[in-house]
Amino acid sequence: MRTIAEINDKIQQKRAIVWTVEELKAKVQEIGVAQAAKEVDVITTGTFEPMEASGAMINLGQTDPPIKIRQCWLDGIPAYSGFGAVDLYLGAAQMADYSALGDADSEELRERGGGHVIADLIAGKAVHLRAVGQVTDCYARASFETSLTSDTINQFYLFNPRNLYQNFIVGVNGGDRPLYTYLGPLQPDLGNAVYSNPGALSPLMNDPKLQLVGVGTRIFLGGGVGYVAWEGTQHYPLQKRLPNETPIGPAATLALIGDAKQMQSRWVRGCYFRGYGASLMLGVGVPFPVLHEEAIAHCAVLDKDLVAPVVDFSIPRRIRPTFGLVSYAQLKSGRITIDGRSVKAAPLASLYLSRQVALELKHWIEAGEFTLTEAVAPIAMDRPFVSQDRLGRQLTLE
Amino acid sequence: MKKRVTLTFPRRYVHMPVTYRLAKDFNIAASIIRAQVTPNQIGTLVVELSGDIDQLDAALDWMRSNDIGVSLASREIVIDEEVCVHCGLCTGVCPTEALTLDPQTFQLNFVRSRCVVCEQCIPTCPVQAISTNL
Repeated sequence: MRTIAEINDKIQQKRAIVWTVEELKAKVQEIGVAQAAKEVDVITTGTFEPMEASGAMINLGQTDPPIKIRQCWLDGIPAYSGFGAVDLYLGAAQMADYSALGDADSEELRERGGGHVIADLIAGKAVHLRAVGQVTDCYARASFETSLTSDTINQFYLFNPRNLYQNFIVGVNGGDRPLYTYLGPLQPDLGNAVYSNPGALSPLMNDPKLQLVGVGTRIFLGGGVGYVAWEGTQHYPLQKRLPNETPIGPAATLALIGDAKQMQSRWVRGCYFRGYGASLMLGVGVPFPVLHEEAIAHCAVLDKDLVAPVVDFSIPRRIRPTFGLVSYAQLKSGRITIDGRSVKAAPLASLYLSRQVALELKHWIEAGEFTLTEAVAPIAMDRPFVSQDRLGRQLTLE
Repeated sequence: MKKRVTLTFPRRYVHMPVTYRLAKDFNIAASIIRAQVTPNQIGTLVVELSGDIDQLDAALDWMRSNDIGVSLASREIVIDEEVCVHCGLCTGVCPTEALTLDPQTFQLNFVRSRCVVCEQCIPTCPVQAISTNL
C-alpha cells in the first residue's frame, strides 16, 4: 500500500494526510475501511494518565574534587546512585525520606514524590540536591550540596520501565471501609468505580498485536520526542483476547525513553494519591503508519467493543475477585452495573488531555517536524507472566 | 429569593428548633446543606434559605439578636483551572454530581449550586487543583 519511506517523503513535503484515531473511527463509520486506508497516511493516538513506573536518569557533572555518590536526595526524595560517580536515577513513585527531612517535615512534603521533582525540573524550577560520597583515591569528596535546574546538569532523560499499558482494570471496593489505592479512593460497598485506561483512545488498543510499533519507534513523550526502548516490565501479550484481538485486561506494556530537557510541563505532571503515594502523569502519543488495511481495521475499534475487568480491591491478594467485564462505552457513560446495582464510574486517565496529545502529534506531523521510524526489532509477543510463589522456607509437618 | 448562609450556634442554643422558627415565623424554607450539631458543643449549619426578601432579612436579624452567628460568606469549592488535568477522578466521589465530565469534551464541569461542600473531592484530586476559598 505505502511504505514508511514514502510516508516520510510526504511528511517532509507537508503533504501527509494525518488523522487522529478518533477522526479515523468516525471516517471509517462513514466511508469504510478500504476507502479510509486509501486516504490517510498516518493515524495519531495519545494518552495522558498516571504512569508510576517512570523515572529520570540524571548526570550531574563532576565536582572538584570529584565525588562518587552513594546516597543522595533531590528535594528530600532519595534517588538511586549505585552507578558510576554522578549518575542518578529518580523514580516517579519514590516518596520523601521522612527521616532525612528533620524539622522540614510537613504535609506538603509528605505529598510530594519523585514525580513532582521530575515535573519541577521540566518546568524549569530549581531542585535542592544533597549527596553523600564514598571517599576513594579517585573521588576525594565526602559530601556535596547544591541547587540544580535542567540547564545545570548534563543528561536528563526519562527512562520509563513500564508505560502505555494496553488496557487495565476497573477498581471497586466491595468491603466495608474506604480504601486508598493507586486508582484513588475507592468507597466502601461499591461506592464508586475507577478505570485508568482511555479505551478506544489508548495507543496500544488500536494496534492490539503491536504490528505498528517496535523497538526504536519514535513517539511523543511528555511534549518532547521519545522512543520505544524495549518491552515494558510485566509485559503480558498472552492475555486473553476478544475476537477483535484486543486484550480483556492488562496486557502489553512498553519501556519508553526520551530527552526530558525537551519536554513541556503541560504534559509531565507530578501527582499524589492520598494514602497510596506519588506518581507521574504523562502524555504519550504514538503515530501509526497506514501500511495496510488491517491497521485501519484495528484502529476503527470503538469503546463498545473494548472491555476491562471489574476488580474488587477489598481483598489485597495478587488475584483479586472480579465482577466480570464491562465495556469502555459503559465506563465512559459514567455509570456501570455491578451485580444489578448502578455504580458511578470515573476515569483516572484524562480523556480530554489524551485527545490533546493525539492532536498535538498530528500537528507536528502535518508541519513536517516529526517523521516516522521503522522499528529496529519487534516487541516480543510470547512472554509468559510469572509470579513469585515461593515464600522462602516453608514449614511442613514431616 | 435564595440565600446560602452559614449559621454558628453557641452551645446554649444548640437545642433551638431553628428551621421550625424560620418556617413558622418568617415563612422561610431552610434547606440544610451541611450540619455539624452535637449536644453541648458549638454547632454549625450551612443552609439555603428561600423566601421573601424582607422576611429573609428579618430572619437573619432575628437570628443575630439571638446570638446565632450568621455568615453570608460560606465555604465554597474552588477549582484551579491552570492545575486541573480533567482526569475526572473527583467525579466518582462527588455525592451530588456537582462535579461531572462533559460527555462530549470530557472536560471537568463544576455546578456550584449542586455542591454541598462535603470536600471529599479535595483529597481525591491527584494534582491538588481543588481547595476551599476560606
